[in-house]
Order: sequence, then structure tokens, then C-alpha cells
Amino acid sequence: MNTFETNLAAIASKDAALAVALRESRGGALHITPARSGQPTATVLGRFLHSAYDPRREADAWATAQSAVCRPGEVLVVLGVGLLYHVEALRACVSRDTAIGIVVPDLKELHDVCLSRTLDRWIHEVEWLWGPVERMATSLATTGRRLRFLSYAPAAALHTSVHARLERLMRQQVSARAGGQIHVAVVGPIYGGSLPIAHYAAAALEQLGHRVTWIDHSLHQASYDVMTGLKDPRHRATLQSRLGDVLGQLTIARLAEDPPDMVLALAQAPMTLPLLEHLRKKNFLTAMWFVENYRHLTYWQQVAAGYDHWFVIQKKPCEDALRYAGAKQVNYLPLAAEPSLHCPLSLMPEDQTAVGADVSFVGAGYANRRALLPRLLSNEWAFKLWGNEWDGATSLAHVLQRGGARIDTATCVKVFNGTKVNINLHSWTGEGLDPDGDYVNPRAFELAACGAFQIVDARTLMPEVFTKEEILSFSRPDSLVPLVRQWLRDDLGRRQMADAARSRVLAEHTYVHRMRGLLAHIGVSQPDRVGAILQGERQASALMERSDSVPELIPALAQFASQERVELKDVALRIRNRGMSARLSREDLLILMLDEYRTETRDLL
Amino acid sequence: MADDVAHRALVIQLARLGDLVQSLPAIAALQAQADVAALDLLCPAPFIALGSCVPGIGRVLAWEVERWRMWADRWSSAREETLTEIEAYLRMAIPKPYAAAFNLNQHSRSILAATLVSRRVMGPGERGPLTDDLPPWAEYLRTVARSRDRNRVHLADVFCGLCGVVPRGTAPCLRLPPTSLPDDLSSIGTTEGPWVAVIVGAGDVARCIPPTIWREWIRVFLDASRDGRVVLIGSEADCERSAVVQDGLSSLCLGRVWDATGRATLIQTAALLSRCQWVIGSDTGPLHLGTAVGARAMGFYFARARVHETGPYGEGHWTWQGRSLADQQGKQCVDGVDVDMINQWPIVQSVRLMVDDRPEECDGWTLWQSHLDRWGVHHAATGGCTDSGECREDVWRRLHRPLSLKAIPHEYV
Repeated sequence: MNTFETNLAAIASKDAALAVALRESRGGALHITPARSGQPTATVLGRFLHSAYDPRREADAWATAQSAVCRPGEVLVVLGVGLLYHVEALRACVSRDTAIGIVVPDLKELHDVCLSRTLDRWIHEVEWLWGPVERMATSLATTGRRLRFLSYAPAAALHTSVHARLERLMRQQVSARAGGQIHVAVVGPIYGGSLPIAHYAAAALEQLGHRVTWIDHSLHQASYDVMTGLKDPRHRATLQSRLGDVLGQLTIARLAEDPPDMVLALAQAPMTLPLLEHLRKKNFLTAMWFVENYRHLTYWQQVAAGYDHWFVIQKKPCEDALRYAGAKQVNYLPLAAEPSLHCPLSLMPEDQTAVGADVSFVGAGYANRRALLPRLLSNEWAFKLWGNEWDGATSLAHVLQRGGARIDTATCVKVFNGTKVNINLHSWTGEGLDPDGDYVNPRAFELAACGAFQIVDARTLMPEVFTKEEILSFSRPDSLVPLVRQWLRDDLGRRQMADAARSRVLAEHTYVHRMRGLLAHIGVSQPDRVGAILQGERQASALMERSDSVPELIPALAQFASQERVELKDVALRIRNRGMSARLSREDLLILMLDEYRTETRDLL
Repeated sequence: MADDVAHRALVIQLARLGDLVQSLPAIAALQAQADVAALDLLCPAPFIALGSCVPGIGRVLAWEVERWRMWADRWSSAREETLTEIEAYLRMAIPKPYAAAFNLNQHSRSILAATLVSRRVMGPGERGPLTDDLPPWAEYLRTVARSRDRNRVHLADVFCGLCGVVPRGTAPCLRLPPTSLPDDLSSIGTTEGPWVAVIVGAGDVARCIPPTIWREWIRVFLDASRDGRVVLIGSEADCERSAVVQDGLSSLCLGRVWDATGRATLIQTAALLSRCQWVIGSDTGPLHLGTAVGARAMGFYFARARVHETGPYGEGHWTWQGRSLADQQGKQCVDGVDVDMINQWPIVQSVRLMVDDRPEECDGWTLWQSHLDRWGVHHAATGGCTDSGECREDVWRRLHRPLSLKAIPHEYV
């Protein structure tokens, strides 16, 4: 038998259908050449998938690094086929009870492997994931074991879209099955636009049944404002920086008192790189939801490497910039609305008189808005302008409401509801429309959630969250006035669009959706930590089921309610509460000992 | 049967280097007990080679702190595997429980370790792993630590008390194996001296003697002792401090100074100390290690270090105890002497003491010399400073419970 037939026979013993499909496929995806070591190596479009010198040594190094984070009993899902040196090395590195599944997006690639090198006995100890992505996802979901995705980047780069789809499906499954309670510390900023979002995120996590420790730094805004009033900019900068440091230490102290499973910081949270590195040393999992325009606020460069997970409201080049600055995991997570606040209202007549208008805009006086909004004056409609920082905009002074005071959320919601056409212009410091306009601001989701009609400046990421039938966009300043005129006349059309947008928000764009997505992302990449908790693996009932190998644990676990989450500190506390003269089992002593070291590792300050 | 761990006793010392050295008198006294057939030692993994140098010790078991930390961290995600792994580790290290474990540490980890590996615990934990009820000597130690009250019983002798034995009135020494040294350090101690080991740093920053003081001390010493030589001792963390000490010394002085900081293992450090006639430093592990390998100690005690509790153990060591203002006014000193508050150091006085054996007074300091008797070590003041503390003999008579291993095994497990 030649190499191809030998390999096919081995594959057929595990997966006969795959062997048949491989025989029928043509190959030709890889260009095979000999490496300096004499083993075959492969290129695609001139790029090497394995070392040109010694593919085995390179694969060994990759497998050693990957296996360090793997846990026994997991299913390792390998992304990237190449010539499978890395899978062979991984199989040799990890324990027998660790399963390995290889994602094969293109049978031609595997066909080439079968032709070029003899796949040894290890081939009997791996599983093949091939065919439609949905089938792969279902197959993985039915394993009932923790999944850990490992990417062999040179080969995985050939099939990024397939891998992304598979991961998305797996996240959905994690999200759908999430039943365990996770403890999240949400760290908010001192002030600013991300502060309400931090509140919404915390509320959403609680709504999902998780435990939230809200670390609220807005309590210190008054002190911060006092410093803002200092005339000497050096004094101001020094003291505000020191306040930030103190609040960082305060965050650490709060985390030490009640260590969470993960720390979720919102943009502008007072967390410095040394502080984040300290948390990492103490094995805290950290995530940042950067709900700001990365082009405007650039401090992310200083802390990019500090967080384990970044969630951003922009895609490329934002994601690339963060990775370049040292961020390990970067994912897109758009903004959302909070339907309990942003909702349709029936306004009282006096409210309708006070806040109602044909056309309204709510927001601060950025340059693009100052340039564009005067076009809405001197028309057949009533226009009202709400918000602060409009000093010097003389032409708009007569439509500016409440003397340019900052507008609270409740009033915003009334304005949205009392306006026929809401204008939503994303903030930008230039005149005209932002040429790089990508992210969708919270206002778009909030207006939609209120069932309010809006016209928004064009954003490249808008089609991912709303269709043209849900939200109306304009891409040229000149088209704003005609659009307003057209839609003011069309009551039914406005209602249909607004209703469609609200339905979309309720179905996909609430903060509950966002937090579910965020946790699913982290759960997939941390299967033994957040992933395990989300799947309920740390609930007493699940632990009891898995206690076959250490039945001595059962009495300790039996003291907890079946759905109660059980952690080391909980078990240790129960043991200590039995009293000073209690008779302790050997397992009790071991748990107490481990708890002593757990306390030490969380000794933060 | 002596090799059967079931018939052995175990001494547990999980604290720092200085504590391990201070445990030697208790180990020596235990070995003299008829009840104790053989003795093993459990100590932190970094000290395992040194533990093997303790005379009469059978096995030296390593307490692997990093592994425990790793297990603690992993327990939540892999409970069964973690417990199985710990059990395998313990079974391999300690196949059968010890007849008795002499626990010398107050903290919970040590108490739990003692309970896990033995049928009977002596010392902290002997009344159960969860109880606050301490045996008399452990209670005494806790009271002294909390109240900073006057105390004349040395820590090493309290360790004896915890084990139910009285000190033997001698200072035990370590037995070092033949140890190779880096080439440029191998000549240390081979020529006439005196050779003085200077302990450059300290684990506790509050106990670090300023490099400028060391530089001055070395200059005065080399000036006073024509054949004198200095060896700088310290860990890697002390290298920079050592460089600052040497910076500013004349080239003539530098030719008589050997810098061993960051270049020696613990055993090599012990070997270097054994080649020196003197070891000088604050209350640190290497100072005590020096006394355990035959060097005479000159201690500078300040911060919270107190000569009567942790002074160099043995006969004829000298200790300069810093006196706080309160102390000088005859009041009780609770917080010790901050290094930054010390205006004058006994540099000239300590050099004369070392070179001419001539005690002199120094403002702000009291000079003490160590002596051994049937109750262990005590430090007597030169210059008429009186001991107003409780008499050691009274403390021993009040607290001592002679060791008896005939009692029933503990019932806490």
C-alpha cells in the first residue's frame, strides 16, 4: 500500500465517510517541498505553513506552549491543518484523556497531507471535524466536555472565516446553555459617557442571574471636579493622576475583599498597567469594554497589554491597533440599549408641549454638529436643540433648550418620544460627516428602543446592527434637509421604521444581549474558568455527579443546595463553621490547606 | 524499624531561614530524648539542602509552596484531579503518618500540615487544627509578639519548649558537605584574617543597614585590622546594594573585599560563612546561619528585632541593640527603632570590639553578649544595663510540660 492508501485506511477506521470523501477530493491545496531536515513542508501562495528548516521541532515548540494551558479531560479543537505536524506533537504532549478534534474546512488540504507523509499511530487518537460548519458545531456540542480552541496560526490563516463561524456557533451554544452563576466585578469610571453604560452592563449581568460587585468611582467625581478647578495645569494633572492611583488601589482593595471570577472594566475606569499586571499575577481574569472611539481616546495604548480580553465598538483597524499595542484577545461588541429606561412613552400634554417638536437633536456641541444643524433652521418645521457645550453657536441659540444644560436620561427619553424626526449625528471634531465613521453610537440603539424615528449619519458598521428598513442613514450633508422634509410628511412610514427598529433592539441589541455575548466569548476562550462556571459545572449538583473519583468530597458537597455554586472558600467556611472541636476528615484538612493558599494568592495589597 | 516512618517523629519548620537555624537547639534536644527514635525535618523546598546538614536528621522533606499555590488556584476548575494529585504527592513524600510532628510555627498552614502527616501534633495545633486554644509555650510566644512585652526567653529556646524539651546548653552546628566555590571566591578564608562576612541586606527592608554605613564600617575595619578581609554576603536582590557599598571604597580597600552577593547557593553561602571568623549584620537569616557554621556574630539590632528574642545563639556573640527615645527614657518600647531615626552607628566601637576585644559604649545603643546556661541562651549587657524582665527560669517552671509520646493519638482526624 502506498502512503495515501495507508493514511486513508487509518482515517477510515475512525471515519469511513471522511476516507471516501478524501478519495474523491482532488488535492492541490498545498505545495509540498522538502525542508532542510528532509521532512516535507508546505507552502500556500509562497507562504510556509511549517518551518522550512525543521517542521517537527517547530511543531514540538508550539505543542509544548499550548499544552501548558490545557487541562486533562478537555477537548482540544485544533484550527489549522497544514501537514499536521503540530497535531502529532500535541497528541504526544497531552494526556490520553484529552481528546483532540481537528477542524478540516477544506478536504483538499487533508488530501495533500495524506499524499505527502505517513500519518503514524497518533491518527487513531484524534477526531475529524469536517463538512458544514453547523455539523461541526453540533458534533462538538454533543461531546459534553470542555472545549478549548487552539489555533495553529500559519495554517489557520487559510480559513479564518470558517473558524470564525464555528467559534460564533460555539459561543451561541455556550450562551444558550449558560446556567451557572458567575461573580463579576464591574469597575466604572469617575464620570463620562461610559458611566451609564457601566450601570447598564452591571444591571444586565444581574438580570442574567450573575452576581455583580459594582465598584462605583462616580462617588469621587466631586473631588475630581475640585481638582479640575485648579488653575495651575501641573497641579491639576498631578492631583488628578494621584486620585486615579488611589482609586486604582481602592479597586484592588475591593477585589481583595470579595474576589470575583472576572473583572469587567468600562472605558475610563481608573486601572493602570501595573495594577492590571498585579491582578494577572494574582490570577484575576480581566476584561475591558472600551465603549469609546479609539481614535479620539488613545489611552488604550498604555493598558492594551494589561487586560486579558478587550471588547471594542469598532472593527478593523481598531482591533489591529489594539493587538499591535499588546492586547491578546480583541472582540467586537457593539453598544446597545436598556429597554427598561429607553422605552416608548405616552407623554402628558404638558410634557409634549415642553419637549415635543417636529425635529430634535440631543447631544453636545461637537464641530460637525455645529456645522450641520443650522441647515435645519428656517424651515417649515419646529426644531429643538438639547444638550450642553453649545457656547458660541449663535445661530442655534434660539433653538437651544434649557440654556444649554446637560440633559438627563429621563428627559432624553421624553424628547425622543415627543419628536417626529430625531436627528442622530455621531460626534466628530471635524466639519461635515466623519469620513472614518464606523461604530454605531448608543443614541442609535436608545432611540430605536424608544420606538422613535431617527435619521442618522452613515456608519460602516450600521448594516450589521440595523437594516435600511429599520434606521434611515444619510451620507451627504446636503441630503439631510430633503430627508427630514420627506419623512415628516410620512407618519405611517416613520411608525413602521421605528417599530421595526424597536423590535430589532429587543431581539438583539439590549445590554443583556451584550453581556451574554461577552461572557460567551470569554467562556469559549477560558473553558476551565468562566466557561465551566457558565455551564454550571461548579454547582453542587454537577459536582456531586462528578465525584466518582473522590467520593470523600460528597459529604462536603451534600451540605449545599443543588443549584448553589460551590467554591473552595465556601467549602472551607462550612468546615470551619463546624466548630473548633469538630472531627475533620483528611479531605477537610486538604481543603482547609488549599484555602490557606487561596487566601494568600488573593492577598493583593 | 528506625527507617519506618511510622516510628519516626517529624519537626516542622515552614518559616524563614533564620527560623530554621533557630530550630537547631530544639532538634538537638529532641534527638536526645529516649521517646524519639528518629527525627525527620519538613522545611520549605529552598532550604532542603541546608536541612540535610542538620546533624542526626534522617529525611528532609520539602514543603513545596508553589505547588500548593498552584493546587489552590486550580481546585475550583479541577477538584477531583487536584485532590488526587495532592494525595499522590503526600503519599510519595510521607507514605505513613509520623508518630508525632513537632510543629514550630503558629500559622494555620503549618498546623494543618502537622495534622495531615502525623498521628500526634506537638506545639501549635496539638489541641486541634481549628482551635484557638494554644499550648502554654505557643500562647506565651503569641502574647510576647502581640504585647511586645519584655521577654528574656530566646525564640530558639521557646522552640524547645514547644517540643516539650529543655535546651541542652550548647549551640548546635550544621555539618556542611564538601562544597565547591566559584574560583575567585575559593581563596576566602585561606589566608590569615580576621575574615569578616558582612551581611549586606535583609529580607525585611526595615532591617537593612544603609550601604553608606557598611561602606564606613568596612573602611574603619580595614584600617584597624592590617590583615582583615571582608566578604560581602547577600542574595541576588542585594547585588545593587553591594555595588553601592563598594562604590567609594579606595582601591586599596577593594583589594581586601570579596563580593559574593548573588553568586552563591545557600550551601555555598554557608561554606563561605564557615571560612570567616566573624559575621556581622542585622537580625537576618545569614547572620544566624553564620553562627551555626562556627562564625562569631556581631549583630546590629533595630527596627522590631530584639536581642533577647532572636539574638545570635551560642556563647560569646555580641549584639548592639538600638535604643529608641522611649527606651532611653526607661519606658517600654513597642515599635522598635526606625533605621531612619538612627543618628549614630557603633562603627568604631564594633570594630574595636572585634579587633581588640574591647567593649565601649555608644550613644543610642546597648551592647549585649550571649551566654549559654541550662535554660538556653541569654544576653547580658555590658555597661550595667539591668534586666527587668521576667526571670527565664520562672517562665520555664510555669510553662514547661515534659515531652511524653505515650499519650493517645490526636482525634481531630
